[in-house]
Amino acid sequence: MNAFEYAAPRTLDEALSILGEHGDDARVIAGGTALVTMMRQRLVSPGYLVSLREIPGLDRIEAANGDVRIGALATHRAVETSPLVQERIPVLAETFRRVASVRIRNMATVGGALAHADPNQDPPVTLIALGARVALRGAGGKREVPVEDFFRDYYESALGPGEVVTGVMVPRLPASSGAAYVKFLPRTADDYATVAVAATVTLEPDGERCRAARIALGSVSVTPIRAQGAETLVVGQRLGVDLLPAAGEAVKRVVDPLSDHRGSAAYKREMAAVMVGRALTQAWDAARASARGTR
Amino acid sequence: MTFTQECAIPVDRERLWDFLMEVPKVARCVPGVETIEAVDASAYKGSLRVQVGPIRLSLQGTMTVEEQDRASWRARMRAEANDRRVGGGIRARMSLTLAPGEGGTRLRIETDLAVLGRIGEFGQPVIKKKADALLEEFAQNLGSRLQQGG
Repeated sequence: MNAFEYAAPRTLDEALSILGEHGDDARVIAGGTALVTMMRQRLVSPGYLVSLREIPGLDRIEAANGDVRIGALATHRAVETSPLVQERIPVLAETFRRVASVRIRNMATVGGALAHADPNQDPPVTLIALGARVALRGAGGKREVPVEDFFRDYYESALGPGEVVTGVMVPRLPASSGAAYVKFLPRTADDYATVAVAATVTLEPDGERCRAARIALGSVSVTPIRAQGAETLVVGQRLGVDLLPAAGEAVKRVVDPLSDHRGSAAYKREMAAVMVGRALTQAWDAARASARGTR
Repeated sequence: MTFTQECAIPVDRERLWDFLMEVPKVARCVPGVETIEAVDASAYKGSLRVQVGPIRLSLQGTMTVEEQDRASWRARMRAEANDRRVGGGIRARMSLTLAPGEGGTRLRIETDLAVLGRIGEFGQPVIKKKADALLEEFAQNLGSRLQQGG
């Protein structure tokens, strides 16, 4: 690993000013699970590391204007075990629980994982299905980007130069809704998914027909993706034997998997259709239970 | 890894061939090429910058033209380049074929590529996609340069 300078500012403004001063040579570090690995492999060699860990409050998980706001410095483990997240958005707690091993979850942060933009991660998939937004701050001010628009290419995000992820805002699902995250994991429990799918389903007052749905997938393209074609197919429908294969076919048309040691592109494409069927079924069942509970 | 790519260049076969055999000129149409100089009649050395996500590679290496057969409109070349900092490099054998196509010439490139070391571990899954993006830009550059009169 190359030698580098290390700064641990106490305020975000100070962090942004250091980033502005050092430009390309500076990298933000939070939990370090991704960046340090890449530095060890010399894939990246920043001359300046700006840690966000000394900035107070950046790890908060709180309710804000109907959303759950998760600070960038919250660890995966903190989201997994947060009573607020478990109560309001249980699918998100479950998604974070599925990430790697507990040792990694204790270090890896929510903001760091988003900024890393690895297309095989779990949280972005569920965040897209939930309609979450990433909060960013740079020298020019604050902005919010829907998570589905945040990922641009393989390990590339919408983060501008000198910009930092400050948190993620997750809206609450409407009444009569259900959500599911399914991770196809044929190798080891701490592996990246071969295919991952998150789905949310909101039902009409009849408790059967779908009013709204969102479907997102991970590990099937150079970024996590949203499958809007499949969503359109299920809206207005009841969960029937024909619906899931049709949704699966629609998903196969938008995935573009990479062949790797977790499977060939063709295999992952087939499994994407299967996993979408499972995620929709689970989300639908949860939505029905929720509809029964609220009537 | 082997793959075949094709693109259309809107000039006739003779003109495209003559241009392609002038390696320094062609190199300037390849996105990311920073330097290129002749070592002898068929060998060149140069450097190429490629970015994959947060990783910036600076590949230094050589390229050798192994065959130029105008009668069959076919050329073969070999390239080797390394990034010293990251550790790793590429070895490529490429075969170019020119065929008449609609409104110009179809350039067909068959590549046998090995990506070695750490670059390979990280980049293997996206090499084909990067190569496609590179070719698309190369074809555009080549087309516009030839239409401007080479």
